[in-house]
Amino acid sequence: MKVLILGGAGMLGPYVIPALEHDYDLRVTDIKRPPLEFRGEFRHVDVANADEVMAAAEGMDAIINLSVLRQDRKLAFDVNALGCYHMMEAAVKHGIRRIINTGPHFTIAGPTYERIDYEIGPDIPPQSGTNLYALSKSVGHEITRVYAEQHDLYVQMYLYYNFLDPANPNREREYAPFAISWRDGGTVYRQGLSIPLEALPSRFETFFIFSDMPHGRFVNTKAKRILGWQAQEDVSIVWRRADSPPPAPAQESVPAVADAPVAAGSSAPEALASTDPAADGDDAKLA
Amino acid sequence: MRLLITSGTSALAQAVMASLPARYMLRVTDRVDGPGLWAADLGHGPETDALVAGMDAIVVVGEPLPGEGTGAYVDAMTRGVYNLLWAAHQARVQRVIYLSTLRLMDAHGVEYNVTERFRPRPTTDRDLMGKHLGEYVCREFAREHKLTVVALRVGEVVDPEGAGVPPADSTWIAPQDVAAAVDAALSADVPRWSVVHVQGAQTGARYPIGDAQKVLGFVPVIDFQPR
Repeated sequence: MKVLILGGAGMLGPYVIPALEHDYDLRVTDIKRPPLEFRGEFRHVDVANADEVMAAAEGMDAIINLSVLRQDRKLAFDVNALGCYHMMEAAVKHGIRRIINTGPHFTIAGPTYERIDYEIGPDIPPQSGTNLYALSKSVGHEITRVYAEQHDLYVQMYLYYNFLDPANPNREREYAPFAISWRDGGTVYRQGLSIPLEALPSRFETFFIFSDMPHGRFVNTKAKRILGWQAQEDVSIVWRRADSPPPAPAQESVPAVADAPVAAGSSAPEALASTDPAADGDDAKLA
Repeated sequence: MRLLITSGTSALAQAVMASLPARYMLRVTDRVDGPGLWAADLGHGPETDALVAGMDAIVVVGEPLPGEGTGAYVDAMTRGVYNLLWAAHQARVQRVIYLSTLRLMDAHGVEYNVTERFRPRPTTDRDLMGKHLGEYVCREFAREHKLTVVALRVGEVVDPEGAGVPPADSTWIAPQDVAAAVDAALSADVPRWSVVHVQGAQTGARYPIGDAQKVLGFVPVIDFQPR
């Protein structure tokens, strides 16, 4: 399968690429090269440029969109909203039926949910609020939804919140109850690329991608149930009392709906430690 | 009342302005220059802040420019509306009237009385995508800020003087009725977010306008029924 990755040099790309490079023909694109060597092609593509996206999608079987910018309003809407429009136009033109889009949790679950509710799942009406990052991503989300409703293609939307390195968490801060290790954040794309499209409940499905949390504020069961994916690295250490026993060993992956080409979590990109975008800090949001 | 009207060069804006009551003091803007216009690209900056300064309300007409591509129009209806509403919120503008389209509802079966309780079902067509995403952005401002937004989903606007009969489209509405709906929406006691369908007075019209009558007190005058 030939897979186009948009925004592959961002924070998540260095974890997605190693998870996929041995089983898929990758065309990784961005406005700069990813900070790692990989098997596949690199192409300079600005997702805000419709022609560049259209050309990059030619001959591809699937698209993964990791692109995101939020520095200012022009860039944010160019990348997060128009980038999705360009991607979907390219998918229609080239007959690409498998699209995986990404974003932060508040693409749909903005403060009107997060401040108030518990057990928040991914099948809720979007309430991004007006935060620039959230709303520009939410507009992109809505664009992909409308395309999925109008055309014969399937969109999976993967939403994240906090990323962290479980071996080196920041004890000084409180993480959002919706966190995942960087490495696990990259592995879910194996399932997303291998699941038969007809096994998805609809042509547009949203998933919250995070490790099991003790809080119950958000729920991640849909990704387990539909994709057969489960995070392998326990990040609950950041909420544990200092005198509590260590966490239990990570669970095995739950059976996938589809046969994944490689078991989730089997490609451990330890060599990427130096490229960890959180290395100069300690955690990050999807950015 | 000081009123900012966008897309001032569009036929829709011109028709609405021609029929609005004289009590409104109008400031007219568009993304292109023109006589009597305050040209503004609705970017993030002091120009947009200045545009909304002193306004009591804004009518976002939100029409595409002639020959405008889908990407540019979507950008105007998302980033542009976002910038405009942020500026409005910060300037304490009280109310926004957003002119949307009833065509967002056309995908629902004709066997139904499609009201505001039905969800919009846009296509990827330029005009529908743009209008829908503009609504999407407006809704979040109404949800999160003390900014009242009335989205008027308007039927096909047709000048009754030049219209053939019977109407080719049962959603036809005369410009003066659109202006009357805007006028009503500017003063009606409404929640922070309202969607209201408006079209002409003809019987057998595609979309019921009971909410327009109940919520806004709007009753269309012009019908396009053959006499």
